[in-house]
Amino acid sequence: MSAPAQKPALFLRANERAILGLASVVLFLLLWEGFARGWWAELLQPLLGPQAARFALKPIFISSPTRIAVAAYRMFVVTGEIWKDLGWSALEFALGLALALVIGIPLGLAGGWYRRLSYAIEPFLAALNATPQVALLPLLVLWLGTGLACRIVIIVLLAVLPIAIAALSAVRTTDARLIRVARSFAAGDWRLFRTVILPGAVPLLLAGVRLAVGRGMIGIVVGEIYGSAAGIGMMINQAGSRFDTDKVFVGVLTIAVAGVGLVELVRNIERRVEVWRAPLIP
Amino acid sequence: MLCLLAWEICADTGAINPLLVSSPSRVARAGVVLCADPDFWNDMRVSASEFAFGYCAAAAIGVPLGLAMGLWRRMSYILSPFVDTLNAVPRVTLLPLLIIWFGIGIWSKVAVVFLGAVIPIVISTLSGVRTSEARFVAMARSFSASRVRIFGSIVLPGSVPFIFTGLKYAAGRALLGVVVGELYAATAGVGHLIADAGNMFQTDTLFFGVLVFTATGLIVVGALGRLERHFERWRPDVGAAA
Repeated sequence: MSAPAQKPALFLRANERAILGLASVVLFLLLWEGFARGWWAELLQPLLGPQAARFALKPIFISSPTRIAVAAYRMFVVTGEIWKDLGWSALEFALGLALALVIGIPLGLAGGWYRRLSYAIEPFLAALNATPQVALLPLLVLWLGTGLACRIVIIVLLAVLPIAIAALSAVRTTDARLIRVARSFAAGDWRLFRTVILPGAVPLLLAGVRLAVGRGMIGIVVGEIYGSAAGIGMMINQAGSRFDTDKVFVGVLTIAVAGVGLVELVRNIERRVEVWRAPLIP
Repeated sequence: MLCLLAWEICADTGAINPLLVSSPSRVARAGVVLCADPDFWNDMRVSASEFAFGYCAAAAIGVPLGLAMGLWRRMSYILSPFVDTLNAVPRVTLLPLLIIWFGIGIWSKVAVVFLGAVIPIVISTLSGVRTSEARFVAMARSFSASRVRIFGSIVLPGSVPFIFTGLKYAAGRALLGVVVGELYAATAGVGHLIADAGNMFQTDTLFFGVLVFTATGLIVVGALGRLERHFERWRPDVGAAA
């Protein structure tokens, strides 16, 4: 307990990162709150005179940290209105990501294994990769309407590519020495695939999934903003058009938290899967 | 090629309604018609300037910011909470806010393109500086090279591949920003054209608009690759092949 008091300089240095980070965030939030509440305008009044009014911004435009916190409390706890939207978005995301996994992994593995197949699918992967897939959204709305299906398809479109590409390159980059060892012990194709290639592909695959999670988040938001009856993206969109900036920020933060949580989950799985692997010695 | 042919045949024989799926020849025809249309060029100009302003500003701010965060530890401590938070949010969620702040004109799109592109640029530049070869830096130090000298001859050239990786990735993000921004609210632009075409069941025009975006993406990434090779000529081939 007394160590930090005895050597304050040392304590400061050891926790420099946390202290500076925290200080900058607190300063930023204070500045923001001050703009919304007109603190800065009052403070600068004697200096600038009427000009100082410019330093008070309407909360309707920028909201403020406290207003966001109040809105979040109300939406999550008091009325609970956000849970319905959250549920819809989660459903879309889960179905979309699951479909992307079911399509992307076999496609990528097969593409990596059979050379001819990869010649056939690679042009499509490359073209789709270069297109911002969300540009297809109006087309999807034409084909599928504005219902759940449309949003699931856009999430699949966004998420399937990183997964398929990761699976494909994972098979391609399997250690050639391992394959030769297995072959010289007369392993068949299936055996080789199951015992060498598949376990070797897991790390790259999970990295692909991590990317896909981020893409899927974009899919949720864009799909719902463009046309939807429920979901977090729709909530943000509606709040935005009603100048309800507090709610917009609550929605954005919710998505951020969900995104970070999911990515961390995948990272955790990655770490767990990697335990058996001996450290690489070059 | 085979798929294009199948697409064409399906649409021409009426196996599938061409109103919904269009066909390659129709898309080509729509392209010819659009190219003769001055409105289309106006859309192109608007989208191109949104992309150019946003992306150039992102590169002009992102690269120096990333370098500075890599060079001065304190700076990165101060800024990294903000960069990490923004990195976690899909920046398109901020679109409704940006529209409130900047209106539905070109500047809200420039802002969303900028936000989309600047984060990957900062992050990859930062990791480029962080991973600069410690042995080289130590050697330069022992020959009493100044900080400026170390930066100019070791850190900066070493970060070039990272910077370009970030720039390429950011180009995709920037295009995404243009499309989403224009789908969401705009008065002109290729994304606006796509949205309009979708509302009026003009699938031919819609596909051509999507193709324009695809082509832009390929061209920008190709050009960046070329620029990168130019900066990387000094590097011996052995390392580049690995």
